[in-house]
Amino acid sequence: MVLPSIKNTDFIFRRFNVELEGPAIPVEDTPEVKGAVPTAEPFKTLALAVVKGDTDAVLSKVKDALRTTKPLDIIEKGLAKGMDAVGALYASGTYFLPNVMVSADAMMAGIAECEKALGKTTEKKGKVVCHVAEGDPHDIGKNLVVMFLRAAGYDVIDLGRDVPIETVVNAVKKEKPIWLTGTALMTTTMSNFPKIAAKLKDAGIDIPFGCGGGALSKEWVETFDLGFFGAKSHHAPKLADAILKGMGWKDLRVKYSEVVGEYATGKGW
Amino acid sequence: MVKFRYTKMAYKDPDDMVFGHAIYPVFCKNWNIQFGAGYVIPEVKVAPRPGMGDSLEKLKAEHERITRDACDRAAAIGIPFFMIEQEHVFQQTDNPKWAGEITALQAAIIEEYVSKYGMKAALRQTVGDIRIAEKPGGLRASLGSEYDAHIAETVEECCKNGASDICMETMGGKEVLDYGCMRQDIRAILFGIGYLGSIDMEYVWTRNVEICGHYATNPGGETNCSGANTLMFVAGGLTAHDFPHTVAMMGRAIAAGRTLVAYECGAVGPHKDCAYEGPILKAVSGRPGAQEGKQAVCAHGDVMGNTIAAVCDVWSNESVEFHSEFGGTTPAVWLQATAMEAALMNTAIQTGQAKVLRDLYTLTDRFRDPQGYCLSYDNAWRIGNALVEYGKDIYLRARAAALEAGKIMKEAHEKREVVLTRFELDSLERAMAELEAMTTETPRWVEKCVADYKRKVPNFKPENYGL
Repeated sequence: MVLPSIKNTDFIFRRFNVELEGPAIPVEDTPEVKGAVPTAEPFKTLALAVVKGDTDAVLSKVKDALRTTKPLDIIEKGLAKGMDAVGALYASGTYFLPNVMVSADAMMAGIAECEKALGKTTEKKGKVVCHVAEGDPHDIGKNLVVMFLRAAGYDVIDLGRDVPIETVVNAVKKEKPIWLTGTALMTTTMSNFPKIAAKLKDAGIDIPFGCGGGALSKEWVETFDLGFFGAKSHHAPKLADAILKGMGWKDLRVKYSEVVGEYATGKGW
Repeated sequence: MVKFRYTKMAYKDPDDMVFGHAIYPVFCKNWNIQFGAGYVIPEVKVAPRPGMGDSLEKLKAEHERITRDACDRAAAIGIPFFMIEQEHVFQQTDNPKWAGEITALQAAIIEEYVSKYGMKAALRQTVGDIRIAEKPGGLRASLGSEYDAHIAETVEECCKNGASDICMETMGGKEVLDYGCMRQDIRAILFGIGYLGSIDMEYVWTRNVEICGHYATNPGGETNCSGANTLMFVAGGLTAHDFPHTVAMMGRAIAAGRTLVAYECGAVGPHKDCAYEGPILKAVSGRPGAQEGKQAVCAHGDVMGNTIAAVCDVWSNESVEFHSEFGGTTPAVWLQATAMEAALMNTAIQTGQAKVLRDLYTLTDRFRDPQGYCLSYDNAWRIGNALVEYGKDIYLRARAAALEAGKIMKEAHEKREVVLTRFELDSLERAMAELEAMTTETPRWVEKCVADYKRKVPNFKPENYGL
């Protein structure tokens, strides 16, 4: 069996990802890493271990550093700086999502080690409640949002998947988060979101309710109060930071792209 | 229990594979349709709008419109045969009586049009997998899962009320697959889809085949929506940087081993479409299959929308929400879109040019992306051939399929047919090295995976898989 040959594939397709690929540079020499990682030790080594997503190295370097350095400094000047570099590498297209995940795992392991030394958990920036709609088992998007938020220093109450409306509403009343997220893949499960928003409004709660997932669109989410459309999981920390500074759901609907730093009002793949 | 394992290829030569023809055609008792019997059947799938699941009345009214609008368009443009697939919403599967009433309503409408126009038709009911691994009872009714009990009742209600065939997209192993997808952990992908997924398939499909056997309903088959389709969706397009396409393709090869289990339990086809493992399934089993591609743009982006049509027997739109377009409601519009493509394929068959069109479809996307390269029918056949060599062992066959897919992609890169980016190539080489380093002693591998992922994935409960 021999398939016919194609004279010139440029008239059929172009592999832009290959055409646009830059030169191979070791990750530590990239501008993203140089711009974020400190030069002083032990912070540089700690940050680079996070950049490389090496949990074992992070744990061993954190243990070494704890002999001479305060746990909070290790977190803020070392581990967090490494994660800043990872975020920049992801934004520039050098890193892919799994790189971010393994770096986040490594950083969280390092933070846990520091918290052990501190004897308490570190102060978080704010609290976010995350859930997947009732009847919906698809939780990969929610898990990514949870990971991005935790890596950025937020306290996340993860309610899991297939979560009844009342459970979500009660969690918001109890936890008083700055923000609620909901994800859904199916058209009929996402209809729980306006019901949740209505119950929160009835209870006098006016927090942003970020909704995302395969079946949702910006147009649909903006049909109910509190709702704004979340386009990509990695936007979550920037959105949380904006909410922490006082941005409400009405502004987020308009300024979303500005807040996350990229065009993001449309749906994804 | 599986009745057999695939240890030989149904197709001895990939060149014998072509759209509209399967070695083992499938006859549907109601409405006289045959799959893989020399013609390609267009399919339309439409999801109810948000809020329609609030009551049975609303859901019935929505399904009546979906079905009637599709049938009307079939009559209006002269579609000789078609399939309507209804993928259940949560409320439909969770309330078996609802599923029964809706199936009966849809069957009655189809019957009305078939009687009036003499067209051939099929009504596929895809029962939702509403089970949640971490909820009480987990994945099995015997452990106390009400969701699982409802699935079994719903399958029976659909059979009783006129479904042509029953399909599912089971979620077994998804909790581990998701972990693997987020961290590019090929072992977790292999364990989640290839091992746990296969065990869960055997559990669900043994039951589905048994229930269908009491009625005039065929046990259709599956696709790995929750696994391989997830990988493809996360991988996205050429400019995305969320997951390497090379490893997503390995996930698809692994999924073939898992999806074949439905046939090994007694399902007859056509299998479903969204994970794109279909060409491998057809090469191994000789059974007809549904595929989706360029007319599934309503549901997702795609880098192989033509290639994937090459050996289909049913041509589908994947899924679209019910709403109005300028050209009609979505069931009418998207049935027309898939039917016109099927008409092109059927014209090629009737003029003796099927293989010419097959090869044009294939070439269009063969070099666009490594996924399309691997799913071109000749390479899909190679993956199937590697799989059946270890056909009796669900771990080893999935591993062999992944390694063969890897080998095909490396060859394509070395021949400069599909040049890979550094990230794609590094990811591929790392995954292949990890796969090659894995033990070939299945019990040892399983024991290690169970221990590791029980620790790493809180939702993974070995008892859901009888482990």
